Amino acid sequence: MSRRAVDALFQALYLLTDIRFILRETAPVHELDDEQKVRAGTAIEKLKKQVTILEEELS
Amino acid sequence: MKCTADIDTRDVEELYINIDPIQAGGRLTVDAQKAALAYSDGYSVCDNCRKPFRLDYINKPPIAEFHRDCAEWLNMDAVRLVPGARRGFQAVASSMVEKGDPVLLTALSHYTEFVSLEQAGADIHEIPMDEHHHITADNAAARIEDVTRKTGKTPSILFVEHVDYQYGNIHEIAGIAKVAHQYDIPVLLNGAYSVGIMPVDGKALGVDFVIGSGHKSMAAPAPSGLVATTDEYADIVFRTTQAKGDITGRTFGIKEVEMMGCTLMGVTVVGLMASFPAVKERVLHWDREVKNSNLVVDALCAIDGTRVESDMPREHTLTRINTLDSFDKVAEIHKKRGYFLSNALKKKGVIGVIPGSTRVWKFNTYGLTDAQIAHLCRVFQEIARENGLTVS
Repeated sequence: MSRRAVDALFQALYLLTDIRFILRETAPVHELDDEQKVRAGTAIEKLKKQVTILEEELS
Repeated sequence: MKCTADIDTRDVEELYINIDPIQAGGRLTVDAQKAALAYSDGYSVCDNCRKPFRLDYINKPPIAEFHRDCAEWLNMDAVRLVPGARRGFQAVASSMVEKGDPVLLTALSHYTEFVSLEQAGADIHEIPMDEHHHITADNAAARIEDVTRKTGKTPSILFVEHVDYQYGNIHEIAGIAKVAHQYDIPVLLNGAYSVGIMPVDGKALGVDFVIGSGHKSMAAPAPSGLVATTDEYADIVFRTTQAKGDITGRTFGIKEVEMMGCTLMGVTVVGLMASFPAVKERVLHWDREVKNSNLVVDALCAIDGTRVESDMPREHTLTRINTLDSFDKVAEIHKKRGYFLSNALKKKGVIGVIPGSTRVWKFNTYGLTDAQIAHLCRVFQEIARENGLTVS
């Protein structure tokens, strides 16, 4: 059992959901304001970390 | 893009501004989307179901607490979750109406209100709307008198819409309830377009039942909803089973007859619960939504020949608009006929208007950001100008 991989999986899905909602609230032009850009950037950075964990655990 | 070989990905909320009149208040919150990811399996909220084995007793996730909080929030005494508002109508009709009973609903009632009463064998009568498309206490009183005289019985229940689906008008509920109670008629409030988007206080309105729709107005997956009632009627509508197997002798504990045991399990109930904190908060900002609704209506009314059939100024985000003398004039000569409007809107990032509609149609601005409201106003007027209509 890899608890770490499962946690990383859900965390990544939740972060993708945060990004999904930035796309929703900025539809249809998807021109992000400064605050939205910070939120998106933070979510993407955290997402990369979770993907790294998945690579470590599953490869 | 596909989810599977045969199922498209639904990405309209990510790509467009969606003004579909029945979808706006049901769009999930971010928390509901996350909860849905974790609880997508059918019986997923049942992992920790313990005696007495009923949905509203489950503490992990905190479904029991959610039931209590929901009742308190609506200022009612008891709540049960149901798979859609229609199942709430059905539970109440089945409990409160005997075959042949006269009942009242309104000229603006949803078909599911009719069908639920039809299932119960009711003798159905409507309260007419007035010239402003309102259901009034005076009309309710007159109809109660009329039906009682004609049938020889007082109606056993009155169903009325807090906000109707045709005009998005807010009706005179407290007055109607007061009149009905003078005849000992219990009142069911159809809150499909109010519970979850605007403040609703069941006791202040004086109603006996409040029905809400999760997927219309509580930011929850379909099918979901709730039925709330008072202590006076809770034991009737939420009565427990007395069934017993004549061979096995089996009985079924505290399962509730009208709920058919447990109701929402999995995505629907966790979606409702996950959105609830945001829903409680958002109803406090109803004035902002109404302001946005009026901004869009004003932008549309600036297009010559356009008029609003709902109450003005708007008090709700669902609006019925008449464009017979504006966009429909364009449709008469446009090569795409009536489809020009929905096509033009889609090209500019807006969906939700029924394709082909250019006469009388509805839209809902609920939940849009300020930037999206501005975009919507601009787009309607751009399309008007591009097609030779005058914008004042």
